[in-house]
Amino acid sequence: MAKIIVACGSGVATSQAVASKITKLLKQRKINAEVEAVDIKSLKTYIKNADVYVSIIRTKEVYSIPVVDGVAFLTGMGQEKELEKIINAVNAANDKK
Amino acid sequence: MHILQTIVNYMLSLGAAVFVPLIMLVIGLIIKMKFSEAFSAALTLGIAFTGMNLVITFMMGSIGPAAQSMAQNTGITLTAIDGGWPGMASISWAWPYAFLMFPLTIGINIIMIMLNWTKTLNVDMWNVWNKIFTAVIVSYISGSVVMGFVAAAIQIILELKIGDAWGPQVEKLTGIPGVTVPHFVTLIAVMLYPINKLMDKIPYLNKQLDADYLKEKIGIFGENHVMGAIIGFALGLAGGYSISGALTLAVQAAAAMTLFPMVSKLFAQALSPICDGVSEFMRAKFGGKEVFIGLDWPILAGRNELWVAVIITIPVLIVFSIILPGNAVLPFAGIINLSFVIGALLLTGANLLRMIIMGVITAPVFLYAATYFAPHITKLATSTGVVAVKKGMMLTWSTFEGPDFRYIFAKAASGSILFIVAAIAWLGLFFLLYKDTVKKGKLNE
Repeated sequence: MAKIIVACGSGVATSQAVASKITKLLKQRKINAEVEAVDIKSLKTYIKNADVYVSIIRTKEVYSIPVVDGVAFLTGMGQEKELEKIINAVNAANDKK
Repeated sequence: MHILQTIVNYMLSLGAAVFVPLIMLVIGLIIKMKFSEAFSAALTLGIAFTGMNLVITFMMGSIGPAAQSMAQNTGITLTAIDGGWPGMASISWAWPYAFLMFPLTIGINIIMIMLNWTKTLNVDMWNVWNKIFTAVIVSYISGSVVMGFVAAAIQIILELKIGDAWGPQVEKLTGIPGVTVPHFVTLIAVMLYPINKLMDKIPYLNKQLDADYLKEKIGIFGENHVMGAIIGFALGLAGGYSISGALTLAVQAAAAMTLFPMVSKLFAQALSPICDGVSEFMRAKFGGKEVFIGLDWPILAGRNELWVAVIITIPVLIVFSIILPGNAVLPFAGIINLSFVIGALLLTGANLLRMIIMGVITAPVFLYAATYFAPHITKLATSTGVVAVKKGMMLTWSTFEGPDFRYIFAKAASGSILFIVAAIAWLGLFFLLYKDTVKKGKLNE
């Protein structure tokens, strides 16, 4: 199953809120993926096994997996666009396997 | 009437792990969630409480004896164990009046927006626990639940106003427009404001230090489990344990530090549907207006300065906890002192050197507040049945948010004239901070 990680300061509240939201939205579209909230300090470890990284922060770093803007899921603005990006990445990851 | 009281007493006697989920289930059904979803969320909440109890008990059982041993060996008494914010959140959600904070927060926000008294729409429902914690503490110390809610209401209003002020700064620091961080933790800026103004006079402190380089170096030491292990090992040695004893404690401490956030996630998971539902509601009603969407602080977490400052202050906190007379707190789960750094980040505009200095200056304040509130927090933990605290030990949070606010207002609510004056002075300082920050925000546009 494709894996999506969301990272925030402690990996608890904000990233969980976004993770729950994404899980719900994906379920509505019948898309299967694992969504996990993680702590940003340990990002490098988690990112190795993930297919998409939903970021709450604007970062300059480039990763080998697609990065999606997580703030959109908190403010509601631009949410659809970011969700599409996630779905595309999940489908691409599932095709590879 | 008597029947109602019997029912309520029975429910309270069930303990937090059963009582609060029951309330959650009722609320979930009232806001028309599907029964299966409401049931799942409610049960998860019960699991969160139970899990939190497990980890705190484990932590006290492993760290506690070491702290006591250290006290005997060195004469340093640090008997209040730091359960960090997860411990406090858990206790807050267990308060019988906790869920009343939702309507209070939403109500005040809506009224203020409608009256154009604020531009901030706070959709961060998770941090409702922060208002609950204030209400609990103030009501315990003053003996009045009403005063607890008054203090919480003041906090809500201040958060929204400072949210208005921080808006431009948040955009500058994150690149994200239209959002702000109306978080109670940023109010430490009130205390830091005069210090910051003083620093303006020192030319060296107007330079920016490069954070990326430092963060690369610090890297792995910032991770929870590594830090826990180091603290556990050091504590073991200080407690006179053998090397194998200290190593065991190192792993146990690392376990506790790792498990805390994991269990806290369960709280977020359980409360998520309610928080989400409320956020949707707020957005639907007010999305059109020009607002700052109020989010939780992690959107600022991309600034390396935050992490560097926080990690450098870790040894500072430990040293202070040992040398400060009258301090009873052993910093542990709360050792990452986010409670000064976020306010400092926003106030100084990511000036790393100033942030570090502020971390050092505020460390004693946090430790003394944690010591002062420890008995009350412990009483709250045991009376709600959230955690069983062993005799001779106390539970607290070494770096809880707004130590100055909570201390002053708790004392003021108890009727102390001195502190009522202090509260008014604090509010005056808030006003100055607000005006100054709004002015700086306009200059940046």
